[in-house]
Amino acid sequence: MRKPRNAGACLQPEALMQINGVAIDDTFAEAFGMRATRLVITALNLKWALHAARALTGFATSVIGCGCEAGIEGELSTEETPDGRPGVSVLLFAVSGKELAKQVERRVGQCVLTSPTSAVFSGIEGEPIHLGRNLRFFGDGFQMSKMIGGRRYWRIAVMDGEFLCEESAGMVRAVGGGNFLVLATGQAQALEACERAIAAMSGVQGVIMPFPGGIVRSGSKVGSKYKALMASTNDAYCPTLRGAVASRLSPAIGAVLEIVIDGLADADVRRAMRAGILAACTVGVAGGVQQISAGNYGGKLGQFHFRLHDILQ
Amino acid sequence: MSARILTLRNALQTDVDASALIPECLRGLTDAAIASLPLPGKLRVADLFDIGGEDSEHLVLRNATMRLTHVGARMKTGMVRVEGDCGPCTGMGMRGGQILVTGSAGAYAGCEMRAGILEIEGNVGDFAGSALPGNKQGMRGGIVIVHGNAGDRVGDRMRRGLILVAGDAGDCCGARMLAGTVVVKGKVGALPGLALKRGSLLLDFPPAALPVTFQDSGEHQLLFLTLLEKDLRRRGEPFARFVPLPTRVRRYCGDLATGATGEILVRT
Repeated sequence: MRKPRNAGACLQPEALMQINGVAIDDTFAEAFGMRATRLVITALNLKWALHAARALTGFATSVIGCGCEAGIEGELSTEETPDGRPGVSVLLFAVSGKELAKQVERRVGQCVLTSPTSAVFSGIEGEPIHLGRNLRFFGDGFQMSKMIGGRRYWRIAVMDGEFLCEESAGMVRAVGGGNFLVLATGQAQALEACERAIAAMSGVQGVIMPFPGGIVRSGSKVGSKYKALMASTNDAYCPTLRGAVASRLSPAIGAVLEIVIDGLADADVRRAMRAGILAACTVGVAGGVQQISAGNYGGKLGQFHFRLHDILQ
Repeated sequence: MSARILTLRNALQTDVDASALIPECLRGLTDAAIASLPLPGKLRVADLFDIGGEDSEHLVLRNATMRLTHVGARMKTGMVRVEGDCGPCTGMGMRGGQILVTGSAGAYAGCEMRAGILEIEGNVGDFAGSALPGNKQGMRGGIVIVHGNAGDRVGDRMRRGLILVAGDAGDCCGARMLAGTVVVKGKVGALPGLALKRGSLLLDFPPAALPVTFQDSGEHQLLFLTLLEKDLRRRGEPFARFVPLPTRVRRYCGDLATGATGEILVRT
């Protein structure tokens, strides 16, 4: 379930811009302030750094049900990591600093501490949140602290040697919920466009696309006919409901997919959206991609507005 | 602006506590004001030193001898360069700044210091980085660099920080350490790590004999040594003289009499 949102609420219905025949709606993505951190996970080799990073960022697609949104930002060479081993950079986003700290501690404890040969470091300067500060107690009194270069690290004895963990990670203000929608003639066409977008966006630093493979198919609207639910399927964008509801899809649209972007700064989100939309449009109208739109709440809730036309100029 | 230079005029016959001669005490003072500063023993600075230069943040003590004690004690900022030797308690209780001694320093160098860098190009006496007699905690931060040899009980009761010894260290190196790291590139004397509670002794050469309360934990590759080495490289000279550090070491855990949560690491 995506964040509740009236996806594609256009300020002007008619598309004024086209790329490769794909209409770009004159609308904007509405995003919110979040708290974020970057962690650097290293291991004996990249394979095991990725194992730990994938476990850490698993079940972290949406703050609604997962507590945080997380993803792999990129792979790091031995020159880029604190301990000179292959590594992976991951980003975690949450709605509050308290929730972020809780998620970081829980996920690192269960997914990185447990992963063979792993070590974890803070990857960003900011307000400190606990990283190894409490995890050290797993050492049952045999944990050792080292202050190196003004930073405190914890050495925790584990069965394959030592788990090395920085005491704190930096927390920064960030942006969550940047997005765009790909409207295509069918699932295969929408998926192809989105896969190209994700491939292009994965090269942008400071962002993650937290959904499976970076793509979400279950956009949601605010509220539901069932009182217990705060959000439900975005029927206006469900092609099978065309005719039953006030659909926003033209008859040519057979599938809609969304890409959600969380970034450390609004400029990062902007860069990622631009790279993604341009890549999605390379499929072109001939390849079945009809329209690019974006989700928003009418502009009244989110601090950040990413106008598609501005981003693509 | 040239450094403030205090040149010792004659050889001292008695010890003189020079703890008043630190940048924060001399900052903003004229030559006349500095000349009239009191020193222990009813002396004034002008009785012993010729005064020159302007910038008190960079203080130079020329012709220094072992009779000058407590040089740079409790200093917080600035730089003190000691040209010659200095006596006991050099850099005692330092809170910041940097001291460079071009000669040797006496006992208790860097004792109970909390921050800053104390660099000694010659040798140091006993109890470098330790606690003063009767006190429970020695060095609590900062870095002591000794390019020569160190005496006995380096880092005694040390609580935090880093001591780098390029030469040999005497007996009971790292005795009663509570935490922190001592690196010795030369040889160490008898009973290293005696009553060590926490903390790490990193030795390039196996000690002749370990206390019986240390046990062999085998050979290990420890990541924190990589971090320490990178930090030393990043700082450049004189720290870079101590790299490469061994990453694969034989670990002896101990002291079993005090909880076995410390370690002696020996290059393999």
